Amino acid sequence: MLWFKAWLETRWRFAFLAGSTLLIWLTPLWIPATGVHTSVPAARFWMVIQLASVLLFIFTAIFLAGSGINTQGMYTFTPGFHGSMLFTLSLPISRRRLLFVRAGLGALQTCVLVVIMVVYILHLRPETTSVLQALIYLTRTIVCTMAIYAFSVLLLCVLDETWHVSGAFLFWTIVFLLQSKFDWVARVSPLRGMSLNCYPITAPIPWTPVIASLALTGVFMWIAVVVVQRKEY
Amino acid sequence: MSDNLIDTSGLSKSYSGSPALRGLNLAVPRGSICGFLGRNGAGKTTTLKLLLGMLRPDAGQIRLFGEAMDSEASLIAARRRIGFVSEDKELYPFMNVGQTIRFTRALFPGWRRDLEEKYMELFRLPLMKAVPKLSKGMRTQLMLLLAMARGAELLMMDEPTSGLDPAMTEDILRALADLATVGQSTIFFSSHQLAEVEQICDRVCIIDQGQAVIDGDLDDLKSQYRRILLTFDGMPPSALASLTGVDHLRQRGRTASLLAHGNVDLLVDQARELGPTSVEVRPVTLKELFLDHVRGE
Repeated sequence: MLWFKAWLETRWRFAFLAGSTLLIWLTPLWIPATGVHTSVPAARFWMVIQLASVLLFIFTAIFLAGSGINTQGMYTFTPGFHGSMLFTLSLPISRRRLLFVRAGLGALQTCVLVVIMVVYILHLRPETTSVLQALIYLTRTIVCTMAIYAFSVLLLCVLDETWHVSGAFLFWTIVFLLQSKFDWVARVSPLRGMSLNCYPITAPIPWTPVIASLALTGVFMWIAVVVVQRKEY
Repeated sequence: MSDNLIDTSGLSKSYSGSPALRGLNLAVPRGSICGFLGRNGAGKTTTLKLLLGMLRPDAGQIRLFGEAMDSEASLIAARRRIGFVSEDKELYPFMNVGQTIRFTRALFPGWRRDLEEKYMELFRLPLMKAVPKLSKGMRTQLMLLLAMARGAELLMMDEPTSGLDPAMTEDILRALADLATVGQSTIFFSSHQLAEVEQICDRVCIIDQGQAVIDGDLDDLKSQYRRILLTFDGMPPSALASLTGVDHLRQRGRTASLLAHGNVDLLVDQARELGPTSVEVRPVTLKELFLDHVRGE
């Protein structure tokens, strides 16, 4: 029932983001009609789509982490505002379980949207892609997106949703800027793991950012659990 | 083993250095209906949150159902046996009444379908209505249904009747009294409504500035305490304050009003020796007990 509750809580935002993603799918239907498709080289076009997809993954990870959370106050620190949190906390459920279910459903929803978008990118790609290459690309994209998602969950444990969105975008913008200045940031950045620098898809797996993303996901979630368990309402 | 469902000793809690509870000792025996009274900011909601594990105490101990609440596992086990109604009566805005009931039912193996049906009929709650569209009274009723139908041994409520009209308040008080007598649940609720506490409670705890100033059986308290009104020719003598058994002394002109407990007859004899022109001894109401203890007049 906790999963059902989490689904009821998040379904509209998920539907909105899924709808937005599917709208991108429809672009080839209208681009030929406007003649744009013929004037833009296919390789350039799908790279733009890839860049857009990276932004979409970040956007999705940030917004689905916060889906429905602010109004419920599971994570929020907004003083004096509890929403239905007191009801939730009076139930015989551990805080860790509450966090995992809510964060887990958001992670699943994020993965679904990432899969939709990756399938679309592979479909647009002018060169043929083997199933293995596609799976590797999908896996590394999901792993890196999860690091961004986990950071969003962590931020939600200490900030309300308004500040969480700004905070998350600011953080990843800073990471993006730093990775062009400092090589060590670039090596561990989840953004690098799913960015154009790692394309083409057939390039070797960017092991360092992928492993770093896995580690960061674990660390962010561990801190989130500690914060939620110590928090007072 | 103690038969108290709630036992706290030396419970303290501060917010940013400002004390909310200062060594609260509280005992709520099984089967009682205990009213938890205090002024705004006295520490009532803090106490309830501490009991449920939403806050952690700075010092002191909490025992629920005889078990020490010193781990999350013990709190979860206790919450399986507790029904809670919060002050703001907030439920999930994305669910309707039926979904809220199904959700809660799934978390409590001892869910009482008979009670669910009984209170659905009594409160006439519309199953398909979305929670945000319910009136405050209906939300209170839904929360009570969720608390009562789970078969809770202990009901904790934070001002359950606040914002309700008198008819609905009466319905809810009856339901609570019925639950305590027929269902043998223990009820612990905070309230500002002294009349309703007096109506259904057999026990009362008055808290002031984070400490219990009165805790006991309501009938016993009423029999122990007396109001003694003394009228003098001139100003009342200052010796009144030092008489044994005087809890509070209030002076207005030539009249002195004593709230006394213990051996009231002896106290009256001592007061007579001070030469009053008239002496009147009256029983006290809960309101008098409350006001004298929290205002210290």
